[in-house]
Amino acid sequence: MIYYGCDIPENLYYHAEYDCWVRFDGPDTATMGMTDLAQTLAGKLLFVRFKEPGRVIKAGRIAASIESGKWIGPFKLPFDAELLETNEAGFGQDSAIANRDPYGAGWLVRVRLLDPTAARAALLSGEAATAFMQEKIERQNIRCFRCAD
Amino acid sequence: MSRTIRLIDFGEVSPLRSQTVYHAAAYALREDSPDTIILVSSQTPYVCIGYHQDLEKEVDLAYCQAHGLPVYRREVGGGAVYLDSGQLFTQWVFHRDHLPASLEARFDLYIRPLVETYQTLGIAAYHRPINDIHVAGKKIGGTGAAQMGISEVVVGSLMLTFDKATMARVLKVPSEKMRDKIFESLEQYMTTMQEQLGHLPPRQELKELYARKCSEILGVEVQPGVWTPEEEAVAAELDARFASEEWLYQQGRLRQPGVKIHTDVQVVETALKAPGGLIRVVVRLREGRIDDLSLSGDFTMLPSFALGALEQATRGLLAKRDALATRLHEVYQRLGIQSPGVTPGDFAEAIVAAASPRG
Repeated sequence: MIYYGCDIPENLYYHAEYDCWVRFDGPDTATMGMTDLAQTLAGKLLFVRFKEPGRVIKAGRIAASIESGKWIGPFKLPFDAELLETNEAGFGQDSAIANRDPYGAGWLVRVRLLDPTAARAALLSGEAATAFMQEKIERQNIRCFRCAD
Repeated sequence: MSRTIRLIDFGEVSPLRSQTVYHAAAYALREDSPDTIILVSSQTPYVCIGYHQDLEKEVDLAYCQAHGLPVYRREVGGGAVYLDSGQLFTQWVFHRDHLPASLEARFDLYIRPLVETYQTLGIAAYHRPINDIHVAGKKIGGTGAAQMGISEVVVGSLMLTFDKATMARVLKVPSEKMRDKIFESLEQYMTTMQEQLGHLPPRQELKELYARKCSEILGVEVQPGVWTPEEEAVAAELDARFASEEWLYQQGRLRQPGVKIHTDVQVVETALKAPGGLIRVVVRLREGRIDDLSLSGDFTMLPSFALGALEQATRGLLAKRDALATRLHEVYQRLGIQSPGVTPGDFAEAIVAAASPRG
């Protein structure tokens, strides 16, 4: 669904605090990225530095650092996971790829969940996710936009 | 709400501490910690690079070593900058919910006390969105933002003085012509309190004025507070990390074209091989238009003054190939310029290549 210009795909899972989306690709694997809201708030991305694949990252720790023209911030994992793959190649070709396609080509990392049940429990989905995102967008008075150039 | 903001005035500290204090306050922030405004200056000069920059590509390390200038990497973005005691850093470490979510609004809030401080002193400063402060088109300060731990950090400074010559000297640039153009551009497009007022206000009065402006604009009492043992412990850890070669020399790979002087002005350089020789271009762009241009190379051109005429003819033009080629061709025709193996189109292409962002 689109809410104040912000795309909130209803088939994804979200973390309330970290502004990230999660798509479960298998019983213990997932793809993750920045939400439309997160890419809007960050502004046009200039660079993403990823942790090396193969590393185990604990919940709340950083899988990548993101620099836009005006801000730097971490991309944190909301659950314990092993980093399987990063989208370093995609961001290397187009640093603003997550500004253009946050839920597709602009994915950030693929991970193996160390505790799939706990991982799902840490996330919001369905109506709860949509309602939470809508409330956040309203509270923060945000209108999402994408990079066109 | 009876929230207060803690003000910590560190005075003058070591270059390293002038960076690590705000990182430490940010990483030590807990749910029940107050928001904090830090005022600090560095006792001695140093160079500070952006989080994702590659040190060896951005800074003239041989010059820094020869002149005893330490270099530190901050966890805030942007470019390499020379800093000394002439800047009073104003570092905000706030809870995320206590700052606007949008960066535009966040910088607007952060910049207002700085602008009003300058204005009270008689300097006609204004906010040049998104995050510059200008006086009559000249920058008197930039700002940056970052998320660290659960904190949102916004940093900037009150610019008492700024050593433009050393700033231009510490950068690693492809040519001395580029360095000269950077210095000239800093002279033309940056300013300071000293330049604006002809004198410097007493530093204590400046700090009090700024704290008062923060309190008025944020609508919250700003009160002197205490640096906690927990924060000091984090600062000590960060001192060690920031001073380590592993931290300093980590691969950055963020490459920005040229040198940004302020939001609207950047200096860029490139070289293009034409059949008749190499064309070197140093161009200053202002709002996307050519503000100043230097052409050089190993090609042959007659008459001897033609190069200057070509440089002059491009001023004010957008860096677009067709428009540039047309204007340069007109000058070729008017002056009867001869440059075997180098055409107006080659110059236009070189200028456009310099002006176009590249990875």
